[in-house]
Amino acid sequence: MPKSTHALKIALAGNPNSGKTTLFNALTGSNQFVGNWPGVTVEKKEGTLKKDSSVLVVDLPGIYSLSPYTLEEVIARNFLIEERPGGILNIIDGTNLERNLYLTTQLLELGIPVVAALNMYDSVKRHGDEIDISKLSQRLGCPVVPISALKGENTDEAINAVMKLIQSGTATKPCRFDGHIEDYITRAESLLPSGVPIGVRRFTAIKLLERDSKIGEAFSDLPDVSAIVAEMEALLGDDTESVFTNERYAFVTNNLHNAFVKSAYVSSSGKVDKILTHKVWALPIFAVIMFLVYYISVTSVGTLVTDFMNEGLFGEGFEFFGKEVPGIPVVIEEALENAEVAGWLQGLILDGIVAGVGAVLGFTPQMFILFLMLSFLEACGYMSRIAFILDKVFRRFGMSGKSFIPILIGTGCGVPGIMASRTIESQRDRRITIMTTTFIPCSAKLPIIALIAGAVFGGAWWVAPSAYFLGIFAIITSGLLLTKLKILSGEPSPFVMELPPYQLPTVKAILSATWERVWSFIKRAGSIILIATALVWFLSRFGFQQNEFVMLDEDSLDGSFLAYAGSFLAFLFKPLGFGTWQATVATLTGLIAKENVVGTLEVLYGGSFAAHFSAAAAYSFLAFNLLCAPCVAAIGAVRREMNSNKWTLIAVGYQTAFAYVCAFIIYQILCLIL
Amino acid sequence: MLEFLSDNIGTIVTGLLVLVIIIFAFREVKKGGCSEACGGDCACCKMKPTDTEE
Ligand SMILES: Nc1nc2c(ncn2[C@@H]2O[C@H](COP(=O)(O)OP(=O)(O)OP(=O)(O)O)[C@@H](O)[C@H]2O)c(=O)[nH]1
Ligand SMILES: [Mg+2]
Repeated sequence: MPKSTHALKIALAGNPNSGKTTLFNALTGSNQFVGNWPGVTVEKKEGTLKKDSSVLVVDLPGIYSLSPYTLEEVIARNFLIEERPGGILNIIDGTNLERNLYLTTQLLELGIPVVAALNMYDSVKRHGDEIDISKLSQRLGCPVVPISALKGENTDEAINAVMKLIQSGTATKPCRFDGHIEDYITRAESLLPSGVPIGVRRFTAIKLLERDSKIGEAFSDLPDVSAIVAEMEALLGDDTESVFTNERYAFVTNNLHNAFVKSAYVSSSGKVDKILTHKVWALPIFAVIMFLVYYISVTSVGTLVTDFMNEGLFGEGFEFFGKEVPGIPVVIEEALENAEVAGWLQGLILDGIVAGVGAVLGFTPQMFILFLMLSFLEACGYMSRIAFILDKVFRRFGMSGKSFIPILIGTGCGVPGIMASRTIESQRDRRITIMTTTFIPCSAKLPIIALIAGAVFGGAWWVAPSAYFLGIFAIITSGLLLTKLKILSGEPSPFVMELPPYQLPTVKAILSATWERVWSFIKRAGSIILIATALVWFLSRFGFQQNEFVMLDEDSLDGSFLAYAGSFLAFLFKPLGFGTWQATVATLTGLIAKENVVGTLEVLYGGSFAAHFSAAAAYSFLAFNLLCAPCVAAIGAVRREMNSNKWTLIAVGYQTAFAYVCAFIIYQILCLIL
Repeated sequence: MLEFLSDNIGTIVTGLLVLVIIIFAFREVKKGGCSEACGGDCACCKMKPTDTEE
């Protein structure tokens, strides 16, 4: 959207996991991803205010301070400093006042009108904490509005307060420090060139004194203040950065005095954590939970509904209260017959588009149930604990628990999963994470898993969950292998992450998170999958026979263009057990989007897919398609996040080689046992 | 000509319909590089590469 159409730009800034995105969604009507752990948002998101489209609201990644360490923190800081929004709504987690207000002291220095939104006020009240809003507001020198983003309470008031403050034109006053520190700041400020605008002079001076390495990027010709810094450090006996940190905390504590009474509330998180993060039991519990999630969604409940979808809705038809209802293909076929549509076009529509897209859409119920459960586990706070539990395991293999967050998001889609690696500070850890995140089955791979589990293994209990554990296994083994490489060797960085409290998520939040993922799956089926299946149909139904270009019938597809192209590469997959041109083509179309694997198999085999695969070959096919190079969208994300062609190639090459070896071993072993 | 049209009216109309659907599908695909539900409208899809150092 062009910038000029927005009269006003308001940024939502605050600590990670304070509810910025929840508020953003409430204000703009968007459905951005909300999760109960720090570091969910890693890119700024823009949206217009529901009730006033001239106001642009920007959701920023969470930050603890304006001294950034990780990539997503840099994004937030650069936005605030370089783009200078008209106003800032500082989202404060009311259950964590001290730490959150630390950032507030820095935001107040930017010379931009700031309103503090005291979020999670519902929890504050429930815990019995008491906050004197007017006292707090008076001491901070900015308006404070208690809100609950989750319940939608007071959210409009908060945004109105920002607009009122901007219109009134009153500048926000920065917080004052100890007398002699103020003197140093004033001295540094007086050295600044006139190019630094009034509003940010104090901020710039403090950053210079803190030896902030990035402030030089924002302004040029900054003076050398090393003499003042040296003087300060000599006098105060501490480095300047710590001095300012202490000053800020002192400011916060002084101002909270008498304005905030914490109750003796003890959250139940501790008790629950005793069991769920138990030294011995945590991992087995996690394994059982994930097993159940995949078993229930893909194998048991999911299959019931999916059978109805595949055989009823997208098949022959079904019975509804004793009445025969024909399936979609039957209805379409009849309509096409009646309209006397040419045979080739009927083929394209029925055997191509309807069969391919239908085969993919048939798995929507399983998808829905899977994400319903995953969304619940994420929102209640369980998943962020798994990062800690897995940290111990990951560490042994040269990775850190922080890699689990991208993996967690990657169960939805690999693209945001790869982007989530930005929260990882160390470049080495980040690279390893980017290279391994897509091993975890994403939503697009679910149809492949469900198809093989259902059609070939007759719904055996272990197939679907094994796909998830295969992903985890691949990630851990890769950690081990990759850290042996010289370019990626080194120690994993220590893992510190704040644990969010357990909470019962709202039904609405769970449903909207689930719907978001399911809807994107449906949209993909109707767009990229539709085009790909039409193309596959075309290339597989035409070819040359006796030097003549002809349309082939069902039984002679081996003479098609696609068969030629596929056979050319099929030998590569012979050792893996699926060296047919159909399986080769399916794997290749999977690079466009993974759902295509299922769509293509349906178009090429017309439903008799299971008859062409032995159990060993089918599982090897599954393993290869789960682990090999991800779809183009994900490769694009790898390229963006690595910011290097060389590393993108290394990543994709490694994944494909790993998948090949894995599928080979699986096939050979299964051939021996089965 | 007219005869050909009236004989094949079903095929022509259906063919055009399929064409329209495919064009729509193409437009949908072109919108998004990011397969998240934003359909390409979010900042993440319009994102410039971040300054990761090589
Ligand atoms: N009880 C309560 N929970 C809330 C409220 N607002 C948000 N939450 C919960 O807090 C958690 C974090 O919400 P997000 O909106 O993802 O937080 P964020 O600030 O965007 O986090 P990052 O993107 O990681 O910086 C989620 O589990 C929300 O459901 C609120 O007003 N009350
Ligand atoms: Mg967020």
